[in-house]
Amino acid sequence: MEVDASRLVFADPFGMALLAATFHKVREQNGFVRVHHLNAKLSGYLQRMDVFEGVELVGCAPMQGQRHDRADALMEVTRLEQQSDIGNAAYRLTTALVGQMPVMNRDEQPDEMSGYTESDRLAEPIQYALNELLENALTHARRAGYINACVWLSSQYYPSNGLIRVGVVDNGCGFLATLRGHTALHQETHLAAILAALQPRVSCNRDLGLRSDSVNQGVGLTTTRRIAERAGGRLYIASGDAIHSDSASSHLANGAYWQGVAIALECKRQKLPEVRFRDLLPPVEPQLAVRLRFQ
Amino acid sequence: MGLVNTMNIQILLNQHAHGHLVGSRMAAAPLREELEIALAQQGAEVVLDFSGITATQSFVDELVGVLVLRHGPDVLGRIIFKGCSDDVRAIIEFVAADRCDQFIKNHAH
Ligand SMILES: Nc1ncnc2c1ncn2[C@@H]1O[C@H](COP(=O)(O)OP(=O)(O)OP(=O)(O)O)[C@@H](O)[C@H]1O
Ligand SMILES: [Mg+2]
Repeated sequence: MEVDASRLVFADPFGMALLAATFHKVREQNGFVRVHHLNAKLSGYLQRMDVFEGVELVGCAPMQGQRHDRADALMEVTRLEQQSDIGNAAYRLTTALVGQMPVMNRDEQPDEMSGYTESDRLAEPIQYALNELLENALTHARRAGYINACVWLSSQYYPSNGLIRVGVVDNGCGFLATLRGHTALHQETHLAAILAALQPRVSCNRDLGLRSDSVNQGVGLTTTRRIAERAGGRLYIASGDAIHSDSASSHLANGAYWQGVAIALECKRQKLPEVRFRDLLPPVEPQLAVRLRFQ
Repeated sequence: MGLVNTMNIQILLNQHAHGHLVGSRMAAAPLREELEIALAQQGAEVVLDFSGITATQSFVDELVGVLVLRHGPDVLGRIIFKGCSDDVRAIIEFVAADRCDQFIKNHAH
């Protein structure tokens, strides 16, 4: 694959994760990737972000300085393939991201009541969302037979406007393949499948089947979207030939198609401490409440 | 004698947290198995200690929701939820209500 990058001027985490996933796919099929005419600034950034693993750069400036020259403030594009890595990867990425943000006092003692610092409160909603998205990426496609599905993860904090962007991109089967036949799917289209998956309690795997060794509740993606919204942002979700965000749904441009699920989460640093998970859950009818023993 | 030596166990979830969060279903599943072994003994109770941490709904569902689906709502009477923040409490209440409702509907006929 020959890539002409002469018109590329900006890459956000969503784009970087998509690029990394695409290059991986080409190499997996024994292809090569050659990127031409990438401008020097982007070339340095993208190389530091590990987007170009196994990719040949032609006519691009060589990388200056060390790859991990700002290790605490930068998280390279990461590929995950093991479910057992989810918790740690979500934590590492979130810690790196919060490390880029302004906080009042990095050495703040944890609040006595909650045990949390300001950094912890900034981290938590993103870490929560990442756990849900990574779990989806590494479980649903595999259950549908895509046993080699893996996921790419990338993030960036933009100090000029306080925005956070995270990209989570998998190369699995997409929403439609897992939700085909579900009563909430009104049309056999990729867009309808994205919209169905966003509804609470819609899951390809909500019932304990006779032999089923796993079960889901159908709530993770719904909550993730609400986290983004509450934090002043949104999710962009692409799968198959469709892309959806709260402002618009459409087909991908120029007949493009993503084999898997690609999600961009965008939110504002300023709003993160306002996120309360208890406000984001689907409502429970009062007559269904059960007595529990809290201590 | 008639005296049964019941084993009451306590699970400290902060030992399984990354930072302040327990998140993935895969981390919850072995803990649920521990719970099931303990609860298989008559009269046993378990304490789930959430002090200092938050849990995702997926984690709580894998730990508690799946238990309800497998063993029915009564199992909840033998679990004590300790040290829960308002968020964790709301998540547990949501999962419990949702899965009890599902269990009852599944067993209604
Ligand atoms: N990355 C993905 N690849 C394929 N299908 C997906 C992916 N993410 C979500 N889905 C589909 O969307 C459905 C809804 O996702 P959601 O996270 O809301 O619920 P869940 O994962 O089934 O349950 P829970 O998150 O409560 O464990 C999934 O059941 C699955 O059918
Ligand atoms: Mg999920």
